[in-house]
Amino acid sequence: MKRILKLNVNGEDLEILVEAHKTLLEVLREDLGLTGTKRGCDLGTCGACTVLIDGKPWLSCLTLAAAVQGKKIITIEGLAEDGKLHPLQSSFIEKGAIQCGFCTPGMILTAKAFLEEIPHPSEEEVKKAISGNLCRCTGYIKIIEAILSVSGREE
Amino acid sequence: MRLPKFEYIEPKSLREAVKILSAHPSETSLLAGGTDLLVNMKYGVVKPTTLINLRSIPKLNYILEEKETLRIGSLTSLHDLYTSPLIQEKFPILSQAAREVGAFAHQVMGTIGGNLCQGNRCRFYNQSPFWRSVRPPCFKAGGEICHVIKKTKECHSTYCGDMAPALIALGARVKVIGPQGERIFPLKRLYTQNGKKPLSLRKGEILKEILLSQSSGKSIYLKWRWRGSIEFPIVSLALYIEKEDNKISLSRVVFSGVGEGPLEISEIEKSLLGSTLEGSIIDSVSEQVTKLVSPMRTSIYSPAYKRKMAGILLREGLDKLK
Repeated sequence: MKRILKLNVNGEDLEILVEAHKTLLEVLREDLGLTGTKRGCDLGTCGACTVLIDGKPWLSCLTLAAAVQGKKIITIEGLAEDGKLHPLQSSFIEKGAIQCGFCTPGMILTAKAFLEEIPHPSEEEVKKAISGNLCRCTGYIKIIEAILSVSGREE
Repeated sequence: MRLPKFEYIEPKSLREAVKILSAHPSETSLLAGGTDLLVNMKYGVVKPTTLINLRSIPKLNYILEEKETLRIGSLTSLHDLYTSPLIQEKFPILSQAAREVGAFAHQVMGTIGGNLCQGNRCRFYNQSPFWRSVRPPCFKAGGEICHVIKKTKECHSTYCGDMAPALIALGARVKVIGPQGERIFPLKRLYTQNGKKPLSLRKGEILKEILLSQSSGKSIYLKWRWRGSIEFPIVSLALYIEKEDNKISLSRVVFSGVGEGPLEISEIEKSLLGSTLEGSIIDSVSEQVTKLVSPMRTSIYSPAYKRKMAGILLREGLDKLK
């Protein structure tokens, strides 16, 4: 049975019809066309589907769309403001922290939530925070550098 | 992988949830964080026709201190638990264990109640339908065989939670609500040590809160796994020690990953009683524990390896709490 879902995605209030068994990931990608959120393992292990719900990282592949009624959701498409990239996005580009780019949306959103919680983390804290986001290209070094540079803790 | 269709219900109170759950308990699942349940539903090993979302019920997310008792609402997220100054100060082992669950997003999504009620795991069970299709279904998947030990008549799936050993070590109690009202009992008794039905909850019962009494002892949680994150424990140990006149007056030794439920090893607790932890006692109990746990080959790690690691963790834990 379909139900009406009201939510705010990237600052825009939306009202959509969703089926109860649809995950937030499916609704974002298929119903709203926001394909920046990636479908990786689809089992909550890789972190590619991470979005921010009320500012905290959630795995959208393991979240029922029906269960986020009234929530504020931010996907990678909603991070830039007025055409200006978020500092984390710029930093990932500058440091070469993107290769194939598949893990990047989840990685940046996790980093954003983490830096809001711990603005000046140590390298170990960064590693722990992004440990749920798998990257098979970069070897993580440049990703960690990019996150630390935004926090003003660059070595 | 898509989720199968189900009826989705958002109750407004625990009473309403209990009523719906009691009506069709075997076909109904409770949804909290979803990090365990939805994976199992995608794998087709759990097939509820009705899903009750407990997150729609207000006021189940709290950490309250009342006189001598700390009360934790079952829908409190693991992230809220380890960032709570109260928990960090009074029960650091809980903060430590909660940080070891999954990764950042799992900790934000996952709840303490959901973690305590997470399903047992087995390499023949937690797999896709395609992977499982080459064998007949096992006990846990509704079949008549255990692929881990062929001759057995029961399921040997392993309990792999992080929070239960830590809370049992602290002597936690739980409050559950059911059709007959509420009841409180030690958390240890929530676990049946039966792989097919790991929880002792009766028909229609829901875990409501966790109760902790203030304790004076020292505790530690040690989790052994290959990667520093995401994974379930290969073996983990929660250790609690109270001393009087420098001698151990009370200890709790609880393992995860080695049995069908969190495993408290009373033989070791007896051996430790009255000890000052000087001399050869740490060596002897670390050796003794390798013979007292009997893990099954439910993951890629061999039972012999798990036994050895149980001894190493106990040695490390006792050394640190000495």
